[in-house]
Amino acid sequence: MERAKEGEMTDAKRSEVLQGTLDLMILKTLHALGPQHGFGLARRIEQVSRDVLQLNEGTVYTSLLRLLQQEWIAAEWGTSENNRRAKFYSITARGEKQLAVETENWERISGVVGRVLRLEGES
Amino acid sequence: MGYERIPRVRAFAARVAGLFGSRKRDSDLDEEVQAHLQLLVDRFVAQGISREDAAAAARRQFGNTMRLQEDRREVRTLVSVEDLGRDLRYALRSLGRSRAFAAVAIATLGLGIGASTAIFSVIDNVLLEPFPYKGAARMVFLRIHDSARGEEAGRQGYTSNEILEFAEQNHVFDGVIAASDDLVLYKQREGAEPFDGAHVTPGTFEFFGMPALHGRVMQPADYLPGAPPVFVMRYKTWIERFNRDPGLLNKTFELNGVARTLIGIMPPRFSWYGADVWIPETPGREVATGYAGMPARWFLLGRLKPSVSKAQAAADATVIANHLAKISPQDYPAHFQMSVKALGDTVVGRFESTLYTILAAVGLLLLIGCANVANLMLARATSREKEFALRAVLGAGRARLLRLLLVESLVLAISGAALGVLIAWGGLKSIVAAMPQDTIPSESVIELNAPVLVFTLVVAVLTAVVFGLAPALQAARRDLNDPLRDSGKGVLGGFRTGRMRDTVVVIEVAVSLTLLVGAGLLMRSFVALRDVHLGLQAEHVLQTQLSLPADRYKTAAQVQEFFEPMLARVKTIPGVVDAAESSALPPYNGADSKIEILGKSHQDEWHAVLQNISEGYFRVLRIPFKTGRAFSEAEINDARKLAVVNETFASTYFRGEDPIGHRVKLGALETLADPTREPWFEIVGVVADVTNNGLQDSVLPEVWVPYTVTGSGDKVLLVRSQQIPMALMNDVRQAVWVTDAGVALAFPGALEDRISQQLYAGPRFGFLLMTIFGCLGLILVSVGVYSVLAYATARKTHEIGIRMALGAERSDVVRLVIRAGLRLVTAGVAVGLLVSLLLGRAIEAELSRGVKPYDPETLVGTTLLLVATGALACWIPARRAARVDPMVALRYE
Repeated sequence: MERAKEGEMTDAKRSEVLQGTLDLMILKTLHALGPQHGFGLARRIEQVSRDVLQLNEGTVYTSLLRLLQQEWIAAEWGTSENNRRAKFYSITARGEKQLAVETENWERISGVVGRVLRLEGES
Repeated sequence: MGYERIPRVRAFAARVAGLFGSRKRDSDLDEEVQAHLQLLVDRFVAQGISREDAAAAARRQFGNTMRLQEDRREVRTLVSVEDLGRDLRYALRSLGRSRAFAAVAIATLGLGIGASTAIFSVIDNVLLEPFPYKGAARMVFLRIHDSARGEEAGRQGYTSNEILEFAEQNHVFDGVIAASDDLVLYKQREGAEPFDGAHVTPGTFEFFGMPALHGRVMQPADYLPGAPPVFVMRYKTWIERFNRDPGLLNKTFELNGVARTLIGIMPPRFSWYGADVWIPETPGREVATGYAGMPARWFLLGRLKPSVSKAQAAADATVIANHLAKISPQDYPAHFQMSVKALGDTVVGRFESTLYTILAAVGLLLLIGCANVANLMLARATSREKEFALRAVLGAGRARLLRLLLVESLVLAISGAALGVLIAWGGLKSIVAAMPQDTIPSESVIELNAPVLVFTLVVAVLTAVVFGLAPALQAARRDLNDPLRDSGKGVLGGFRTGRMRDTVVVIEVAVSLTLLVGAGLLMRSFVALRDVHLGLQAEHVLQTQLSLPADRYKTAAQVQEFFEPMLARVKTIPGVVDAAESSALPPYNGADSKIEILGKSHQDEWHAVLQNISEGYFRVLRIPFKTGRAFSEAEINDARKLAVVNETFASTYFRGEDPIGHRVKLGALETLADPTREPWFEIVGVVADVTNNGLQDSVLPEVWVPYTVTGSGDKVLLVRSQQIPMALMNDVRQAVWVTDAGVALAFPGALEDRISQQLYAGPRFGFLLMTIFGCLGLILVSVGVYSVLAYATARKTHEIGIRMALGAERSDVVRLVIRAGLRLVTAGVAVGLLVSLLLGRAIEAELSRGVKPYDPETLVGTTLLLVATGALACWIPARRAARVDPMVALRYE
């Protein structure tokens, strides 16, 4: 038991971002920073989570596709800061609603997990 | 995660949309990715890394672009064509590895689909929708029968006066027509040729509502007195007798001495009254002389008004008949009933139950087939549990596994369906060829029934797909590790789906036994029919009907003037043993007549079958005399009023008294075109009974009189020969035409063939088909038993190895496996016997006298056959199990 748990924890440190979490982070980023292109999103997540998460930047696009399909975000072609054509993503009203639900979910679960872990640490 | 619960409908819609316009989106994505990579490179370069290293680092950081493309496609669409192609290749490879399984499954499906479609097509075309006429379902005819006798003994021929009364007085029909038989002689240069003719009343063609194929149908003007004589011809006659000659229309034919113009040829399916030619006639009130000097009788066909039931029509007709009975009481029994019969009842009759029995058999066959396929699929899927688990562990999603299996099942189902269509098509052709003639309406054209084909295809394909997928669904839901750990060698392992497979086998055995019992009963019944002694020897007898031109042969003397020299000529032909005239052909003899016997009084009406003959008749057919003697040639030539009766006549009306010397009055002779006054005949002989009412029913009392007493009635020539009867046909025809070139020889053939056709063809057809289906069922069952046992044995190799290591003998192992198999077979047999006994009533009507639906010999015989087949199916896997080497079996642990 003990050893298995340790292993899982080290795995988690190195592991790629879990699917659902990446979706949540992108939604949150778009909510906080307004319309972004894929590169910008990758930079922002990298900046926030440096050394904790190793982001395979291609997966950002997979995540964006999923979110587009649910109509939680919208996409529009625009011009980037260095005058390149780029696709800008923005959060929709439905996306905002989903973000609220998911954030609450996440906080509840992480709170519970944290408490459980602390309990075990004390014993 | 909450994202798992996304609204699936929207995702699905997006996927469907994603099937289209994918190229544009792919290029969009490419552009985005390229831009992203470029920005990364720019950034690394800005950090002071060389451009080459920067490009590599950017690609590393971005990850696999190919993978992204695939992810994207997976998210966006349902199934790509490439995936389907891959699944198909995989399915073919996997089925190719188990060829025997695939072959059995495909053959089973094909047989089920083919057989049931073929049979149902026959039923639909013969029983359900045989007639091409508009409103055929409401076309009915009237039958009148003596309340004291069966409905079958009634009459449906009416005088023209009766026809007119029914047509004018009824309140239930919105149209009434009638037709009467006539043998029409078509005069040609060398001799006369006969046509089956029908006189039809005004309105006949309007009633059926079918236009002519060529020319026109009859119009009211054609019926007017003094109108130019015309006729209409049947399509089949035009094809077979006139080679589809397009110049035939508007030609004039000499028919029965009248020059008639052919005005129309009907479409293929029009064959009202089974006639070759239709001749217009307006029936009058007076009694007319019809075919062969007998009073004209009309067959009435009415179309019920839309809201009128058959019972209402019968009630209405009874009122009219009661009125008619008062006017001419001699034509009506003292107590009678009218019944209303559907047009289809004219022909199908007893054959109907044969067809329905076969349909039931074929339905059972389809059931066995589906059960077998289900079983095979279950066994196969179960033995592949490990394979699926491995695939799932390696990352195949549940949907992906299902799709794989679905494609595999569909490959099987579609191949089976294709085979089924072929079998249906070929089977239908052979069934039509084997079907007894004259038992189905001549209007019916038997062709493949598309809706039924679709239905059976759907059933069979669903079976394959459902049973192919069911275990996969189960496997996908289970813990992935479970099947991997369960190596399938454990004693208890792998019995989860075992009960389901066992049940299927039990059902299969039960259904097959039911089928076999049915086939066995019909076979016994057929053998019993063949054993019925006809009372005559039909071998080496040539028969042909003779049609004498009605204008020249009216009186008995005229008929005698033809027959005396003609019979003498025929007897001189080398190879001819004897020849005789008769008014009817076996096995259905003569006309019905009311009789009286001098000195005997009785309450009820007495009837007998009446037949007139020449002196050689009993010799030609080898009918033995019980007492008395035959007519002499002199007595025949002098038209003496003498009679010979059969044993049934003697026992029915004389009850042990010697009938010789008694006098009998034959009422029918008074009503003929050349009536015999005071038709009292002295009985001179009694012959043994000859079948005269079919094989299933008892012989009727019969009287034979010299043919010289009347000029009326059918004329049949019977010739006994030393060799094959038909070899004499040309000589006989010459002998007839030398005597009178205007006489036609109709329906010539060997008497044996005719009897076989009329009596045995129907039962033979039923028994043959049932036997074929019974055998198919048996084969399918042995496949079913074998596949289940072989599978179970393979899974228990390990257990068997342990048993053998612990000292079990090979014979013990064989016994173990066979016992397991026979347990299933026995259970199936028990259920099957029960079902057979319950269903026995259904085919009771099919069986001949003396064969009971619970015939013990049949039940025991078929049970033994089935158990033996089952044991054989067990034996092969049992032997394989006994050959297990304990060391090898255990080493696999």
